[in-house]
Amino acid sequence: MKLEIQDVSKSFQGKIALSHVSLSVQSGELLCLLGPSGAGKTTLIRLITGAIRADGGEIKIEGKRIPAMSILGQMGFMPQNDALYTDISGLDNVKFFGRLYGMRGNVLNRRAAEILRLMGLEEEQNKLVAHYSGGMKKRLSLAIALLHKPEILVLDEPTVGIDPVLRQAIWQEFFTLKNKGVTILVSTHVMDEAAKCETAALLYNGKLIAHGTVPELLNRTPNGNVEELFFMVEEDAL
Amino acid sequence: MRSLVLRIVKQMLHDKRSLALILFAPLLILTLLYFLLGTSSYQPVIAAQKLPEPILSQLEKQDIVLIRADDITDIDQYLKEKHADAVLSMSGSELSIQMLEGDSIKTVKVTDAVKNAMQAVSGQSQMKVTFVYGDTNTSTFDSLGFMLLGILSFFFVFMISGVSFVRERTSGTLERLMLTPIRRSSVVLGYTMGFGLFAALQSVLVVLFTKFVLHMEFNGSWWLVLLTMLLLAFVAVSLGTFVSIFANNEFQVVQFIPIIIIPQIFFAGIIPIDTLPFGLSILAYIMPVYYGSMGLKEVLVYGNAFSGIWWYLLMLCGFIIALFFANILALKKYRAL
Repeated sequence: MKLEIQDVSKSFQGKIALSHVSLSVQSGELLCLLGPSGAGKTTLIRLITGAIRADGGEIKIEGKRIPAMSILGQMGFMPQNDALYTDISGLDNVKFFGRLYGMRGNVLNRRAAEILRLMGLEEEQNKLVAHYSGGMKKRLSLAIALLHKPEILVLDEPTVGIDPVLRQAIWQEFFTLKNKGVTILVSTHVMDEAAKCETAALLYNGKLIAHGTVPELLNRTPNGNVEELFFMVEEDAL
Repeated sequence: MRSLVLRIVKQMLHDKRSLALILFAPLLILTLLYFLLGTSSYQPVIAAQKLPEPILSQLEKQDIVLIRADDITDIDQYLKEKHADAVLSMSGSELSIQMLEGDSIKTVKVTDAVKNAMQAVSGQSQMKVTFVYGDTNTSTFDSLGFMLLGILSFFFVFMISGVSFVRERTSGTLERLMLTPIRRSSVVLGYTMGFGLFAALQSVLVVLFTKFVLHMEFNGSWWLVLLTMLLLAFVAVSLGTFVSIFANNEFQVVQFIPIIIIPQIFFAGIIPIDTLPFGLSILAYIMPVYYGSMGLKEVLVYGNAFSGIWWYLLMLCGFIIALFFANILALKKYRAL
């Protein structure tokens, strides 16, 4: 699914959160949203999901203007906080969201089992989420985002607090999905993750500073590493 | 919608404390009030000052402790020193009862005993009751029970649904929920039904408990009581949800209690609203608990049938419908469509 962001602005109580951002993401592209805290990453993500409306400009997914009910069913979303029901089991969480996406009966049961296995939560699926570790909650949250096989995935800092081994596995899954044609948008401020992305968009103070393939962006830095990108953003040197 | 209801049920079953609060806390408080305000085995002490012998002998047959005290000089002082709960004397041809204060249980017991004695003697029971402090206002569990049922169930349901909904928001699950293709009306309906289920269970428990355990007097039909309670509980669920949209955390929901709940207690029948000054009584008409407890009063106290309370029930339904749409609108805050 193609995502087009055209001249989007948003402010909250007079404070500008995003200013004239334009960006497009092709089907099957994996784009990293980079930038320090407060840069506007989460605001942009909330605009893309349709949680909030832009003050100006427009966002289209597959040609449909967002917010659109018809797109919600094909979008997977993982918020920054876990956003899970802690007083029911992991499996119940997955099934609850599955039903909201219109999945029922055996289809839902099979897919729930499959996604929980993929996230390594098979053995803990009947435990209350309140008893999960931080990493397990993150995995469950990701499981819910992937559950209904969305065609566009919007993930707000998905691997924060996840150990390196699992992080590797999760990124592997992102690439698999990308190769199947899923459009993926990942926000992150973890340096080595940025290097894994195909393309990256750098946000700073609500503005899009740079957008391009990761090698392209790295070429602009003196020594070609991601860390430098972040410093250059801070120094307004890009 | 069904999946939402199912999820809420599962959550509640795991949250034993909230479950206990919604189901058993009202019963506990009702029981406490029953003992505080209700029938007690207390025998009032009545001092009789220069009463005719026939009345005295009839008084002795009552469930009281009678003191023949013809030598009291200062009745007020005698009562203040707590020698007796009441002093009976003749003022002209009328019997006068003097008591320290309008204490619900003692007042009722004393006046009942005197009334019975007088009727046995002369077939009439004219008397004048005066208090050292206060007036003849009496309140007992039976006469205020209707109000307690309404306000207690309203309060607990309001709390649980308000706090749960605010938790849904602070944990981020509401935003996640709203980014699935679920309709806003389904979210509101699911919530109302999910918590409504527990609220309904609470209403049934409270009605059965007050009728069969506390033996509260039901002058009308118990199913009308239940119906009124159910409607009131649904208003409480919807109001709790609505209010929580304007609260950022659990504590802020609690802050709504003095604003939303406490004024409703005053308008629920504790004070006869037609006696209020400055046209304040008009406020009652915007308070769901007023309609609930008036409906309950009509059934419990006056023994009225459906025709006597349909207006109150209609108003409660009106609140439910209005809050339903208000909640759907308010949810726009969490999804732009």
